Amino acid sequence: MTRVLGPVIALSVIGLLVFVLAKGFGSDPHAVPFMLSGKKATNFKIKRLDTDEDVTLEQFKGQPVVINFWATWCGPCKMEHPVLEDAWRRYERQVVFLGIVFEDTEANTKRFLAENGHTFPQLFDPKSTVPVDYGVSGVPETYFITRDGVIKGKVAAPFSDPRQLDPLIGGILQ
Amino acid sequence: MTALAVALSLVLSQGYAPQRQGLDPLEAEKEARVMRLGKQLRCAVCQGVSIADSPASMARAQLDKVRELVAEGKSDEQINAYFIERYGEWVLLEPTKGGLNAVLWVGPLALLGVGLLVIVLQSRRRPAALVTAPAEAAPAPSPDDALLAQVRADLEK
Repeated sequence: MTRVLGPVIALSVIGLLVFVLAKGFGSDPHAVPFMLSGKKATNFKIKRLDTDEDVTLEQFKGQPVVINFWATWCGPCKMEHPVLEDAWRRYERQVVFLGIVFEDTEANTKRFLAENGHTFPQLFDPKSTVPVDYGVSGVPETYFITRDGVIKGKVAAPFSDPRQLDPLIGGILQ
Repeated sequence: MTALAVALSLVLSQGYAPQRQGLDPLEAEKEARVMRLGKQLRCAVCQGVSIADSPASMARAQLDKVRELVAEGKSDEQINAYFIERYGEWVLLEPTKGGLNAVLWVGPLALLGVGLLVIVLQSRRRPAALVTAPAEAAPAPSPDDALLAQVRADLEK
């Protein structure tokens, strides 16, 4: 009995160590998990920069929505700006695009939009509460919300080509 | 020092986030609770730094959310649950002690126990092996032994 017990214990300990190490080294410790997948998107009410109107998520009920969180001090967000504009032109009749600027100043944002142009509504969140409600961990981050108001996808990186959005938008158009 | 390093890395890596006007601090007791809770929550864009210790814009936004929830009268558990719901248990700098995480807390002690058990089992077995081994391995008496016995007997005389 004791002859068997030793190797069994040794193998169990080695197996446990291999499992823990494989799990630890196999995942990015800095990757923030996407917890809100399949959950209802939180409603918000924030100001639209060009018209000063309050905009809510609820007013787009029944339509697929793409929300891009960004800021003017973020270099990748600036590079992504024309890509999202291009995507909006391709999907403007089918999908609502919203930009939400946070951790920034209204003046900086208005200046950037005036210099670079914009089409879809850009909202300004002075208290940065909306991104935290959505589990945002940095900028840029883009969320894809179905007609039922359910968060279907999230991309925590800048888009460099409008075609990268196609499969994600296809997922919320169904 | 850590805060300075984090601030420098943020400035150098992705530009400068203008210091926005955050929420006003709450009354002393509540603000102390905000900071205590903030020290338990991981900053999403830093390296193992809490949102209370990080100067990053995202951390400021998260700390403001803690402030807002404290002002609303939410309990510590409700505030932690709010962040776990959005960022997972990853957001806690100290993992909870329940569920699978229990392995992390109990595992080292269990391994220590197993090690002690192995030592005890080995130490019990070894003396018996040492006693029996020479007996089993004792060579058969040779004609030289009789000669040696005779020499010893002669020396004793």
